[in-house]
Amino acid sequence: MVVEDATSSVCDLGILDSLNGDAVREIMETWNGYCLATEAALLNGRGDLSFGSKLVSQARNLCKYGLESLVEEHFAGFLEETFEKNGASKFWEHFDVYSNVATREMIMDRIQKDSIQQVLCKALEEISMEKQYQEKCLLLLIDVVQPYKDSTPEKRQNSGGTERLHLLSKYQSMVSSVLLATLPPHFPEILHWYFKGMLEELSTIMADDCEDDSESHDKDDMDLDEKSKLPYRTGDMDVDGCYRQNRLLQVVKNVGIVVRDLRNLGFTSMAEDAYASAIFLLLKATVHNLAGGGYRSSALESIKGWIQAVPLQFLHALLAYLGDSINYDDAPSSGLKSPLVSRPSSCYAGIGSSSEGLVRWQLRLEYFAYETLQDLRIAKLFEIIVDYPDSSPAIEDLKQCLEYTGQHSKLVVSFISALRYRLLTAGASTNDLLHLYVSTIKALRTIDPAGVFLEAVGEPIREYLKGRKDTIKCIVTMLTDGTGGNSNGPGNTGDSLLEELNRDEESQVNTGVDDDFNTDDKQAWINAHRWEPDPVEADPLKGSRNQRKVDILGMIVSIIGSKDQLVNEYRVMLAEKLLNKSDYDIDAEIRALELLKIHFGESSMQRCEIMLNDLIDSKRTNANLKATILQRSQTGAEAVGENGVSLDILNATIISSNFWPPIQDESFNIPEPVDRLLSDYAKRFNEVKTPRKLLWKKNLGTVKLELQFEDKSLQFTVTPLHASIITQFQDQTSWTSKNLSAAIGLPIDVLHRRINFWISKGILSESLGADSNDRIFTLVDGTADTSKTGANTGGYEQLGVGDDDGDRSVASVEDQLHKEMAVYEKFVIMMLRSLGGMESHKIHNKLKMFYVADPRYDKSPQQLESFLSGLVAEDKLELIDGGIYKPV
Amino acid sequence: MTTINRQDSNTPVTAPPIASSKQPLPTAKTVDTQSVRKRLQSELMALMMSGDSGISAFPEEDNLFNWKGTISGSKDTVFEGTEYKLSLSFPNDYPFKAPKVKFETSCFHPNVDVFGNICLDILQDKWSSAYDVRTILISIQSLLGEPNTASPLNTQAASLWGNHEEYRKMVEKLYKPVA
Repeated sequence: MVVEDATSSVCDLGILDSLNGDAVREIMETWNGYCLATEAALLNGRGDLSFGSKLVSQARNLCKYGLESLVEEHFAGFLEETFEKNGASKFWEHFDVYSNVATREMIMDRIQKDSIQQVLCKALEEISMEKQYQEKCLLLLIDVVQPYKDSTPEKRQNSGGTERLHLLSKYQSMVSSVLLATLPPHFPEILHWYFKGMLEELSTIMADDCEDDSESHDKDDMDLDEKSKLPYRTGDMDVDGCYRQNRLLQVVKNVGIVVRDLRNLGFTSMAEDAYASAIFLLLKATVHNLAGGGYRSSALESIKGWIQAVPLQFLHALLAYLGDSINYDDAPSSGLKSPLVSRPSSCYAGIGSSSEGLVRWQLRLEYFAYETLQDLRIAKLFEIIVDYPDSSPAIEDLKQCLEYTGQHSKLVVSFISALRYRLLTAGASTNDLLHLYVSTIKALRTIDPAGVFLEAVGEPIREYLKGRKDTIKCIVTMLTDGTGGNSNGPGNTGDSLLEELNRDEESQVNTGVDDDFNTDDKQAWINAHRWEPDPVEADPLKGSRNQRKVDILGMIVSIIGSKDQLVNEYRVMLAEKLLNKSDYDIDAEIRALELLKIHFGESSMQRCEIMLNDLIDSKRTNANLKATILQRSQTGAEAVGENGVSLDILNATIISSNFWPPIQDESFNIPEPVDRLLSDYAKRFNEVKTPRKLLWKKNLGTVKLELQFEDKSLQFTVTPLHASIITQFQDQTSWTSKNLSAAIGLPIDVLHRRINFWISKGILSESLGADSNDRIFTLVDGTADTSKTGANTGGYEQLGVGDDDGDRSVASVEDQLHKEMAVYEKFVIMMLRSLGGMESHKIHNKLKMFYVADPRYDKSPQQLESFLSGLVAEDKLELIDGGIYKPV
Repeated sequence: MTTINRQDSNTPVTAPPIASSKQPLPTAKTVDTQSVRKRLQSELMALMMSGDSGISAFPEEDNLFNWKGTISGSKDTVFEGTEYKLSLSFPNDYPFKAPKVKFETSCFHPNVDVFGNICLDILQDKWSSAYDVRTILISIQSLLGEPNTASPLNTQAASLWGNHEEYRKMVEKLYKPVA
């Protein structure tokens, strides 16, 4: 009071001077009366305005003395005091029960949520009443003061309306500042829980509605367009729908009232935060829920649908409701709204047309949904890719998400770490690695056609595969076999690679269709039109998009380093395959070769083509020779050998050995009748094809033979060596290994290794001879071996594996390479001795620079690496930390 | 020319006659760098393919004129079981002038000083263009076992040479194996 007097005396000093004693006394009395009236009106009024008249008259009196600002200030001060005492503190008291709600949020049960709703509504109602009453009082006073204010010259230009407005907004900010100043920390939490509860309720209502709606749509056989529209539609609502709609409106209205009240109290942004966070929380839960069901269906559409159906519906209704209520309100409250919740357009009824605020909300929600889904998918990308192509819907989702969010780098980082952890370990087979690599390429090709991120992701896989020895072999098998290396591996890998070859072929054909007139210019023009800048994440060192076109085969080949190596490996495999063919059926090989030729060029596959041609020629020559023999036999010459072995049973594969990979030679004696047959065949060949002569590689090829025992006969397809061994037992059922090796012309150790085949089959049995080094092999009696054959099948597989290297008819690429590179051995060892240890790439460089003898050093770093590790295996070098090779 | 000067300072007594005999050459020298390279390259190949076990040498970095080499002490000498690193640098007019050869690892030997300089006739006045890297390395290897104690660079080593056991101990004590 004193303070206010003082201020007034400062302000109205001139007025006080002109007053006489009576007037002063009168002012004092009126002032006291005014103060009492104010107190009475604000504290005891409680809604009725009976005290108002007294207040008005006293205030008017004071105003006559020009004390209107004093009146106003006193009233405002008292208003604040009262509001703090009556309004705010009482308001907060309602929520004291929940003061520890934040810590207990986990155990918030349904009842408490309900009670929160009730308490919040009640408290808001009360405080709003209080506020409304105070506003009325304020308006009364303003009405009194207004005329006097307007009469003062400096305020004259202000119209009465603005003054009123000014005072009301002052009051408004007073209310919110009082409330915010006394805000208990748990209040936002309470709001959050309130909105969450309401939204969940809404969500269930909507979900019911949704189901119902879609059912009715199915019945009505609506067209797709309408189906994709909001499920909440007024047109075809049945009674049930009406009930739901009512419930929905009820919920929205409740929320609307709460939000409006909160706004009026100045909690606009807090309310918004609360319902926004509740919506996002619910959205996140829904995304996790909808996307958790596996990768074989797209989650994005249903998420979008849900956003349309629940949160947007809710916001639409809410904004519309608030918009309506605001329309009736006075202007001030609209000034307090945040831009995001700008007043919805007037068309409340039309659900399809959305206001600006709603559109913003939709964008926010969708972005959030995209991001959540994207994070979810990226975290599980490894599983998704393992599941590819079944998981392509998930990939498609991820692609769309990334288009919105642009967080590709997140994908790269996360996927690489998953790869290192899950895939690039010693436990994963090379086949699986390659399979996954192909899947990765295909999957990421969908997401990112330019292949920029693929480059980054593929790098660690490629590096790792380079370290595997059997990579080339697996790739070649995948390329040609269609069964993907080992039989138990995933079968579709090989198919997919063959299919890649096919795809390339088709694209080649397509470009071939273009008329060749000015193709280059045309292509250049098209390319220029199609040009798009690389994504920002692209590594400029890796070349531009044109060179980076995603080509699975190219990427696979790039693991190996050079196509020559791949072609070489393929040649060896092809040779192996062709040599083991007993018919001349090479259609599959021809097809594969044609495809490879398209990809690797005619010239690099030339040798392979010659090999295939050899086979075709062999078939013809073979038929030709037999025809001449047949003619002769008809003319009465010796067609049938004395042992009953005719040339009919012999099919020759005639190869141009210069073009074939080096063939392993192993000399042994084949049974005499067969030998005679072979030389006979060679003679005929010479007659037909002079001056060419046939040189038999007797260890190659296959022999189909039938072993006849007393009680049964067994059929085998074996190598000539195995056949020669067993033939020896035809006349003599028991051999010592020494004699047998002499008879066959085979070193004893080789014989021991090979004869195991027959032992494992239960055809022969082995026992110790007189000499400890000597062993005796005996033909097993026909009656005894039935059980043994069965018992030994397991053993056979094992031996089959052990026999593998011995059975190869063609020297492996590795062996060839090591033989070729042996000339560098001295050089490398000498060099390392003088210069100390070196990494393989340095050795490679030195060889390139200083190895001047013919032939010049022309190997790839990978080949050198393989050679060096061979030297390490032979203990000529040692490999120490950091990949440094050192002489021993 | 710089190489020649360096060469001169190294072999003050024997160099002049050779240097003067080569004096007319400088004009042709630059032209002939290519042929020197060729010679060094073929020497390198020959050395690498010779397969000698006790000696080795290879250009250091990418410079064909600076080599690093190793020799190991021959069996039945006091140097048995040791290995020494050498550096060889070839003049631009190689093979008309001897390369400069030094021990990189310290070697306790009557004809090797503490800086690794070697006193060996074929590297100085007795040089001939018929020698090559391989013969140099073999000569140095044999020098280890048969020093010329008459004109020592390391007098301590020369005086100790007679006593094999003591000498062996000194070699072992001073030997720092190649890292």
